[in-house]
Amino acid sequence: MLREILKNTFGRKKAISFPEGFTGSPEDAAKISALQEKIDRIFRRSLRIRQVDAGSCNACEWECTALTNPVYDIQRFGIDFVASPRHADVLLITGPVSRQMELALRKTYTATPEPRLVVACGDCSIDGGVYKGSYAVANGVANIIPVNFLIPGCPPSPIRIIEGLLAMLNKVS
Amino acid sequence: MEKVLKRCIHTKRYLNEVYIEVRKQDFQDACIDLYQNGAAILRVMFATDERQIDGTFKIYAVFSMPGRDEFFVVYISLEPDDLSFPALTYNIPAAHWYEREIHDMFGLVPEGHPDLRSLVFHDSFPPGSHPLRKDWTIKESDLREWGEGVLKKQPYDFMEVAGEGITEIPVGPVHAGIIEPGHFRFSAVGETIFFLEPRLFYTHKGTEKHFETLGFSEGIKLAERVSGTSSFSHSSAYCMAAERIAGIALTEKAKAVRTLLLELERLYNHIGDIGNMCAGTGLAVGYAKGAVMKERLMQLNERLTGSRYLRGINTIGGVSRDIMLMRDDIMTVLDTVTGEYKAFMKLLLGNVSHRERIESTGRLSRAIALRLGVTGVTARASGINDDIRRAHPHLLYDRLNFETHTTAKGDVFARMMVRAEEAECSISMVHSLFESSYSGGLTADRKEMPALCSALGYTETPRGSVFYWVKSDEKGGLFRVKFRSPSYCNWPAVPFAVHGNIVPDFPICNKSFNLSYSGCDM
Repeated sequence: MLREILKNTFGRKKAISFPEGFTGSPEDAAKISALQEKIDRIFRRSLRIRQVDAGSCNACEWECTALTNPVYDIQRFGIDFVASPRHADVLLITGPVSRQMELALRKTYTATPEPRLVVACGDCSIDGGVYKGSYAVANGVANIIPVNFLIPGCPPSPIRIIEGLLAMLNKVS
Repeated sequence: MEKVLKRCIHTKRYLNEVYIEVRKQDFQDACIDLYQNGAAILRVMFATDERQIDGTFKIYAVFSMPGRDEFFVVYISLEPDDLSFPALTYNIPAAHWYEREIHDMFGLVPEGHPDLRSLVFHDSFPPGSHPLRKDWTIKESDLREWGEGVLKKQPYDFMEVAGEGITEIPVGPVHAGIIEPGHFRFSAVGETIFFLEPRLFYTHKGTEKHFETLGFSEGIKLAERVSGTSSFSHSSAYCMAAERIAGIALTEKAKAVRTLLLELERLYNHIGDIGNMCAGTGLAVGYAKGAVMKERLMQLNERLTGSRYLRGINTIGGVSRDIMLMRDDIMTVLDTVTGEYKAFMKLLLGNVSHRERIESTGRLSRAIALRLGVTGVTARASGINDDIRRAHPHLLYDRLNFETHTTAKGDVFARMMVRAEEAECSISMVHSLFESSYSGGLTADRKEMPALCSALGYTETPRGSVFYWVKSDEKGGLFRVKFRSPSYCNWPAVPFAVHGNIVPDFPICNKSFNLSYSGCDM
């Protein structure tokens, strides 16, 4: 057991490919291994994400939840979703920002320690999406707090979210 | 029933909808008569601003009676000089939220309503501003201040529980997990929840008003995004309303595809929900297994329709892709899932620590469920035999052989078992759908939308019944879209279910209801 742990730690075991029967080709897995190197180097194997729903329809949240299921299993790369913004490196925001969530979003942003990255995830969070122009939404996260990166899609599939995070990390270095 | 018809000004029948106009003073009596003597269920209640058509506001209350495939739509007209109407809430508690919502959105006053605090709008929304009125405008500065949330223009009074040993625990709107925003205020005695007051509508996106700026076809995209995991049911109900207005009859093939996808949507939700309940009891292996099955079904959805949430497939008059051609793929995935699902349920039912947590937790009694007008899995788990697929057969549901599963216990375990039985039922329905062949093209002939016509659209989502009431304007656009998602009916029941439970059991109670915030908040 101990030997196994040591072997994995020092051998820097790479991402395993996706379980059989699921979409997610070996290439997708390879892309993730590149992401893992980045996380290892910049974030010391620990990238912590706080997800904030700012009025989304709930599809984006389920895709984020899917990232932690055994198929995508994002935790094996050192990425995880945390319960408090105080523990987070990244704020992942979904939804067009409904006016009644604006204050809560600002407060969450202030509570996140610097350096922090803000990712707008999903079409609504970029420009309001289908809700663009409604009186009760702010037409995108960028109108409320500074955004570093966008992940388009309605909703972006788990693989697209992982790719988006990779692209963001490439930009960071 | 006869009493209502005797007093009405006039009645009109459209398909299975019976519109009954009554005088304002008779509104209460008519509704109470239907409710008490006819055992009718209040399906949805809403207002419209028809001042530009005939100079009045209108209030509609839609009832349906068990065993009759008819909707009784009782409505009144309000002259703009007297904007009050008699409240139904005292006699029909299910009207509670509807009346508060009408008060917020239209400024019509339900007289005698016990609780007229703002339901939809939070503290910094300008009082006296009613977005669903046709002539409504708002100043840019008011909108900005609404978002900033600093000025308390209409402070909300939470119910306070006073007494020795009472602790107040505020939670949210930003929660610890990856879930939607809502604020909960617990008044607890030690660990036991004495009272819970949810404050929702954080995700209010002005959807109903936004519909009015769109055309009929564009509306589908918005209907799909009202509640993410019920995308297909919502768009089906919306399309159904539009098709009924235009008098479009669906082809057999389109009906089959819609029925199939509705059942696939139910399946992935139910299995995912049962898995999620395990997260509430700390049964990690159950959660993981549920998530794997859900992922299989989601990836099947993607192969079938190009969207993991079954979006972009419904059109007015039919569907855009012939899913029936992909029989082999569906059958392979269903066979795999069925096998996994059996082992999964065996695991859950044989796990003492899981069962211990969910049995007799979060009980919702039949009496309360009935009074609050809850719907779907929640209603059936509390012993109310109500399923829109049975009560108002549409698509191919009148031809399919299926049962409505009910249990009387009303606890978290009951809700899990109702889901489990319905999931099995959905699998067998998909199998039987493939036994026959269906004629016709994918879409029926397009017809012009008639002016100023209205109709209901409805279906059973995984959470319960969804209703759309759509009215067209003079040019064939959308005049008013009212939708009522199942979560809107079920949220008021959550405080009753958690009363007397311990605070750590709240997440599991909440997960067993699995309500959508976005769908409820509109």
